[in-house]
Amino acid sequence: MEQIKITINEKEISVNSEITILEAVHQNKIDEIPTLCHDKRLEHFTSCFLCVVEVEGMNKLIPACSTKVSSGMKIHTKSESVFESRRTALALLMSNHYADCIGPCTNNCPAGVDAQTYIALISMGKYKEALKLVKENNPLPLSIGRVCVRDCEAACRRKFIDEPVSVNALKRFIADYDNVNKWTPPIKQKNGKNVAIIGGGPAGLSCAYYLTIEGYSVTIFEKLPKLGGMLRYGIPEYRLPKKILDSEINWILNLGVEVQTGVELGVDFSMHSLFENGFDSVFVGVGAHKASKMGLTGEDITYGIFRGIDFLREVELSFIPELDGTVVVVGGGNTAIDAARTALRCGADKVKIVYRRSIKEMPASPEEVEAAQKEGIEVLFLTNPKSIISEDHKLKAIECLKMGLVEGKPGERAKPVQIEGSEFIINCDYLISAIGQSVDNGFTKFDRDCTLEKWGTVCVNKETMETSIPGVFAGGDVVTGPLTAITSIAQGKKAAKAIMNYLTSGKAKNGNGKFYSFKHNLTKINEREFEGFRKLAREKMKELEVTDRIHSFREVEKGLNEDQVLGEIKRCLECGCSEYYDCQLRKYCDEYNVNISEFIGETKKYLADGRHPFISLDPNKCVNCGRCVRTCSEILKVSALGFINRGFKSVVKPAMEKALSETNCVSCGNCIDACPTGAISEKFPFKILGTLPKENLETICSFCSVGCKLNFKKVSDDIFYVSNTTEEIKDSHNRGYLCVKGRFGHRYLMNKNRVVYPQIRKHGIIDFVNTTEAIKYSEKQIRALIEKYGRDSIAVFASPKLSNEELYLLQKFTRIGLKNNNISSFSNLVFDTEQGCLDSMTGFTSSTVSMDDLKDADVIVVVNSNLSEENLVMELKIKEAQKRGAKLVLMNSSEIILTKYADLWVDSRKGTNTYLIDSVNKSIIEERFIDEKFINDRSTNFNELKTELSSVDISNAINYSGIDRTKFEAFVSLMKNPLSNIIFIYNIDSRSDKSINDLKAVSNFLMLTGRIGKEKNGIIILREFNNSTGLIDMGVIPAYLPGYVKYEETEEIEKIGKAWNADLTNIFKPVDLAVRIKKGEIKGMLIFGEDPLNGRENAKYFNGVEFLLVSDAYHTNTTDEADVVLPAANHIEQSGTYTRCDNKVQKSSKVVNGLNEYENWQLISKLATGFAGGFMYNSSVEIFDEIKKINRFYKHSGINKSWMKEYFNNGFTTSKLHFSVHQADFTTFDNLKHIIHYQDNYYFSSVKNKLE
Amino acid sequence: MKKIKVGLGTCGISAGGELVYNKIKDELISKNIEAELYETGCNGMCYEEVLVEVEDDTAEGGECSLYSKVTVDKVGRIVNEHIINNQPVKDWIIKSKDYCTEESFLKNQTRIVLRNCGIINPASIDEYIAKDGYRSIHKALNEYSQEQVIDIIIKSGLRGRGGGGFSTGTKWKLANKEKSDKKFLICNADEGDPGAFMDRSVLEGDPHSVLEGMMIAAYAIGSDEGYIYIRAEYPLAIKRLRKAISQCYSRGFLGKNILGSSFSFDIKIKEGAGAFVCGEETAMMASIEGKRGLPRLRPPFPAQSGLWGKPTNINNVETFANVPWIILNGWEKYAALGTEKSKGSKVFALAGKIKRTGLVEIPMGMTINEIVYDIGGGIKNDKKFKAVQIGGPSGGCIPATMGELKIDYDEITRTGAIMGSGGLIVLDETTCMVDLARYFLNFTQLESCGKCTFCRIGTKRMLEILERITEGNGKDGDIDLLENLAQKIKMGSLCGLGQTAPNPVLTTIKYFREEYEEHIFNKKCPAHSCASLVTYQIIDELCKGCMVCLRACATGAMSGKKKEVHKINYDLCNKCGKCFEVCRLNAIAKI
Repeated sequence: MEQIKITINEKEISVNSEITILEAVHQNKIDEIPTLCHDKRLEHFTSCFLCVVEVEGMNKLIPACSTKVSSGMKIHTKSESVFESRRTALALLMSNHYADCIGPCTNNCPAGVDAQTYIALISMGKYKEALKLVKENNPLPLSIGRVCVRDCEAACRRKFIDEPVSVNALKRFIADYDNVNKWTPPIKQKNGKNVAIIGGGPAGLSCAYYLTIEGYSVTIFEKLPKLGGMLRYGIPEYRLPKKILDSEINWILNLGVEVQTGVELGVDFSMHSLFENGFDSVFVGVGAHKASKMGLTGEDITYGIFRGIDFLREVELSFIPELDGTVVVVGGGNTAIDAARTALRCGADKVKIVYRRSIKEMPASPEEVEAAQKEGIEVLFLTNPKSIISEDHKLKAIECLKMGLVEGKPGERAKPVQIEGSEFIINCDYLISAIGQSVDNGFTKFDRDCTLEKWGTVCVNKETMETSIPGVFAGGDVVTGPLTAITSIAQGKKAAKAIMNYLTSGKAKNGNGKFYSFKHNLTKINEREFEGFRKLAREKMKELEVTDRIHSFREVEKGLNEDQVLGEIKRCLECGCSEYYDCQLRKYCDEYNVNISEFIGETKKYLADGRHPFISLDPNKCVNCGRCVRTCSEILKVSALGFINRGFKSVVKPAMEKALSETNCVSCGNCIDACPTGAISEKFPFKILGTLPKENLETICSFCSVGCKLNFKKVSDDIFYVSNTTEEIKDSHNRGYLCVKGRFGHRYLMNKNRVVYPQIRKHGIIDFVNTTEAIKYSEKQIRALIEKYGRDSIAVFASPKLSNEELYLLQKFTRIGLKNNNISSFSNLVFDTEQGCLDSMTGFTSSTVSMDDLKDADVIVVVNSNLSEENLVMELKIKEAQKRGAKLVLMNSSEIILTKYADLWVDSRKGTNTYLIDSVNKSIIEERFIDEKFINDRSTNFNELKTELSSVDISNAINYSGIDRTKFEAFVSLMKNPLSNIIFIYNIDSRSDKSINDLKAVSNFLMLTGRIGKEKNGIIILREFNNSTGLIDMGVIPAYLPGYVKYEETEEIEKIGKAWNADLTNIFKPVDLAVRIKKGEIKGMLIFGEDPLNGRENAKYFNGVEFLLVSDAYHTNTTDEADVVLPAANHIEQSGTYTRCDNKVQKSSKVVNGLNEYENWQLISKLATGFAGGFMYNSSVEIFDEIKKINRFYKHSGINKSWMKEYFNNGFTTSKLHFSVHQADFTTFDNLKHIIHYQDNYYFSSVKNKLE
Repeated sequence: MKKIKVGLGTCGISAGGELVYNKIKDELISKNIEAELYETGCNGMCYEEVLVEVEDDTAEGGECSLYSKVTVDKVGRIVNEHIINNQPVKDWIIKSKDYCTEESFLKNQTRIVLRNCGIINPASIDEYIAKDGYRSIHKALNEYSQEQVIDIIIKSGLRGRGGGGFSTGTKWKLANKEKSDKKFLICNADEGDPGAFMDRSVLEGDPHSVLEGMMIAAYAIGSDEGYIYIRAEYPLAIKRLRKAISQCYSRGFLGKNILGSSFSFDIKIKEGAGAFVCGEETAMMASIEGKRGLPRLRPPFPAQSGLWGKPTNINNVETFANVPWIILNGWEKYAALGTEKSKGSKVFALAGKIKRTGLVEIPMGMTINEIVYDIGGGIKNDKKFKAVQIGGPSGGCIPATMGELKIDYDEITRTGAIMGSGGLIVLDETTCMVDLARYFLNFTQLESCGKCTFCRIGTKRMLEILERITEGNGKDGDIDLLENLAQKIKMGSLCGLGQTAPNPVLTTIKYFREEYEEHIFNKKCPAHSCASLVTYQIIDELCKGCMVCLRACATGAMSGKKKEVHKINYDLCNKCGKCFEVCRLNAIAKI
């Protein structure tokens, strides 16, 4: 490949001539080129046209993802036309993207409180976390949870089904829960900057809160005696008990806010004086407390007439007046209702509200009106006062007029008009006018620089809330006129952010608004969209009985109880997208400043398809990039998804409107990762956590021995999911692809069924103890058994899912602590697989070639493996090789998914594979396609093999196996080509198509043709579990010490003994553990990570066991029976190394913080230390270092290296390979699977079951 | 013996040709007349179908009479008078030895591609051979090397007649140069432009010329396997092709060692399922491979990596049909026709508001006016010639003021339109250019494969803007928006469909901007064509109160008494235009 010179954005670089423009730009980190349809693992598609760049001399824009560089090319990635084209493409995509980025509730909240996410957190019982989220945008949830106007609920889509979700009540619930022991944010160190806040209402408090936690010194100046503003002086006690408000205000003040009350701006101090006194910035939030006049004659001089807001303030400030007779309240806002209900509580006999429009136009919340009416308050609609009737300045009655309504301008309320001659009289003793408030802007007399709006409100920059006076900011009602508490809070926070920017950079600024897509931006949403949703009644709060209400100021609404909260949560439709953070479309729209309404037109609407148990399809979000379609067809060759229809109507779906699960979908979920938007997403076992950030953490899959790289997206230590979307993981050996187990099986990690405390069972009674106690107790029990039955009476079992470090420690503990050789794994013991069947031939039974070599193989022979089910990713590697031209030969009796991809299917009868392979061997010997030099130099026993094979009757073998002769011939002809790279794949743990000695026959073939130790040739031995290979490598088997050291290798044994400071001669000796257990000779059994009692048939192994110690992360049948249970960490709670099927050692890192005090290696060390020295480690890395010293093969190895490859490459000259002379044995095996791991149990019962 | 040829192309059949054919057959049998009756393809005069030609070699000097607009009723007289009594029915003959009513239609044409169409029996390989058929392949195999064949085609100046206009010989050279164990040849017969039927006519009328062209191309590039990708909507063409192919196999023109040479070639037919985009070569190859017909980026070009990754050469029907003629008559003769850079002839499907609609083959370099007036006979009903729409849905409009423009690839491209495959629609003053653009964009929009963002959504949005303009809801800025979007779509689409889809809009804006502005700002359609923008008015002076319109009006908007001037109630009028259509006094006007 040639290096050529190109110029990108005026910079000349030298690149490989085979790469694309996109690769050149990204490799040289020149720019980030956006693309939706490009996936480096797939063939380019070129459909989204976001990646366009300008190339000099070309009269059109060039797609960078698929255009190769050429010498001298001059590329521009940032020109105006490039930007414009990308922006237009995005705007076009958005015009047909009928979907919500975030919940409309969140969007409609003036403060942007993420309701959908806190509802999701509440659903998980994470009340504190939910409240923490609320407080990010609203520091007064206790108060707002009671008095908010609930714009969130107004926007709630649930209203199209029944009624909105009670979002505010849910917030109140968590705020009340939090009130007992309030969550308090960490506070930054004081930065020396001082900010004055004038007005202690919601705006001022909010501003103070966000400044204080960022390290600013804040002083609040308040005119009235107490803080709270309208929350205190405008909202009556029965709606917001002042005790609650006080506790909330005090919580903020206790963060370190200074307060001065009884001081008034313009009277006691001026803005100028504040700056003189050392304040660096000022926030004005003095509210709008001036009541408006009705404009009636005598309004000011008649006794018995109050103004609503003054009335409410007086009630709060001084005393509760005693009213009797009839009270008329004029107005239709919440203040009018509050005044009316307060008047009732002050003893009025009758309260009437007079309002000039109808109930439809009434600004007060309907719930409040309803509550007032329930309390006996009469509302006279379409009525307006005309004049006051008084006697000696004492109110007697009020003359009213009936009103009619005329249509207003579009978007405006109907206008009331008087009906001539409709006058009538209402006799009354008191009149409260509550027709509006305005800003008392007297303070500006002294601050003439402060510009005001027409209505007397303070003029500010809407982005920063900065007033016309530099450094002075304002927010709340003083800016908006009388509005809502939540708006004030929002503006307080906005101003706080701007003040911080102002004080750090000298310029008030605020971050740009983020891009959000909403369905309602494209079209009007209606009920039809939600047909088919079940109606669920909105939960109603308990209320104080009316009779109790009207005589007291006790709080009316009681809040939701926990059951009601659960009921409301179920009603949330989770409108916001689960891919909010990962959606590339949204990200680009943000970057390219897309205007969502640029191309409004017809929008395609689809029903989201949630019929697959784990994968949700929402074609509304599809951008036709085809990444899923191509992944499914090019990589998986499954084609469950495809493009449907043409033109504007084209969309990705399964064919014929089928559910994904009705197609041949293998549920690998790789389409989820492929999708750049949320069109294909995982159906989580939890509610969508909208905007909570997620962390990417890479580890290794813990299912099979292929050892795929896995990325968890972590929200918290108990909320995470698998998502292989990072660029790094796409470069891993599995290229980010996973199978159904790797994708959805890891949900077991979130299961609550954890062993949390060590437990001891004495006389059937379980005691929870601490770890030290449990270990001391176990030690005592074990010692007692040794005393009584001898040291051989104890056995240790370890799971092939444990890390190398754990396994190494367990066998070391067994051998030098317990001083016996009773170390094994139930997985091997029960299945009785031939773990050592090649030992006599190659010295050990292991893979001789690495998975990476599959890409260079010419012929791949898969024997005895159902890869689609068991090792899908290995299958993908084969399909990749096939694309390049490799031939796939499949040897198995029954038809499996892979069969249709096989170039040759040798459908031999069960149990006959050995015979067939022997026949192949005979053929190639006879036809002299063998590697004679290899045989002479490096092997023994060839003649014996030859003699043995001469007795093989090929015709008989073909007949016996039931295959076509042509198939056999085709097989032989593929096998005899000495120039072909041939790799065998064999699953040693699968019993389905196994025949005894077939692995030996395969090895004979490889040796005959010189294919052991030869690059790109050999065998990959698959095992069932992720560390089955490590288990043998570490010597968790009586037959070997670590490094396959066998009984006869005295020198090696001595070496290890010396390193361990122990004499192994009497310890490391042959033992048939299965027999010993069955005979009942094992009295003490220590099981780590396995659940043999999950299968009843394994109970036979427990005869005579007097002491059972089980260490597991989850409660299992076996832990239920244990005398001592030690809580273990699961595989993502700790780091360690695992050895995959081709002997490559991979490091797995910690993803979440564990529940337990100790990592597993610490627990084992602690237990072992009671019996022997040599278990003092500081980290698991130290253990691996020791493994490298002890295990002769790992000496050559490190992380991400295959020791076997190293070994063979260095020439295995020390010992010669030995041909196996065997006879065909037609024994077949049953295919019974004993599930002895919690993880597999979960997979079969909770994942596979659902898919079937 | 007399020969009776009935024009049975799709045009002839739809005009009732089969009935005429059967009637003649019945007459011949029942009257026991000895004459040869067979079907032939379309001779281009679609406006005169059904055409029946009587060839009489017994007459002095041989006589050939062409009857036009023959119906079943006319058959009796023709048979009795002409076939039996040798008295041609002069009234119905449009062309004979002595005279021709359609002379201007025919004499201005140069028929190379259509040389046999309407003349020979397409079902007979012998007739093709009799017209020098398969002499070219024989000549090529025996006299020329591959390189020489390519050289001849390059020198002839033949350019891709599918619309691309790329030098055919050069294309072959590229495919020839690729080293591969296998090369494919594809004949693009997926003619999808609305109003275009050149390829269909050639395949129906002279299938062997296309097969022979393919053979020569296959020999030149070194291919041994060819596909004809033909739309399933052309059943007759497919039938005739299948028959022709099987005849070739039995005569040894296809198969192994053709004409005793070392050249072997097979041809298969692949029927397309009606997706317009499959006429695009990369989409076509995907479709042949059994995949969804989606275009892909070029490079790699088909010549490098085409069908199943092998070097592939694709030409369309008309291009192939030219090839045998060039080989036989020499490149010099071909190159002598046409302009400097556009050689030879071009077939056009003449349609629209023109007197003679049909298939014409003209030498390159002829002007639009010559086509419209000399060949086409001018505008129907003597309306005003407004423009021609050329190049199909991806093409553009050329205004009448540019009528002296020469038919030439580069000249046409300069106007913003394209030569395209040969659709030529003539428009008169009653055609609304906005509505015309809307019509074509609607077509491309529906036929977009949906792959590229701009083509998939952009054309839809453009269409919506055009729709609102024609409905009277156009907004200030819409023209800019259309132009802006059109440029982006052209720049940001993978294949020709998207890259050219905005052409009708861009050229109409370019030449008829004021019509757009009338729609948008004055809510008027100058051509009185957009229903929403038309108002019907009674011209009092002309109305005689005949009540015809009153009876035709479905909404009851028309009122009036007999012999009194009628009135339109505009609250009820739904602008259906029925009154306008039925009024014979021209008393109703569109304003």
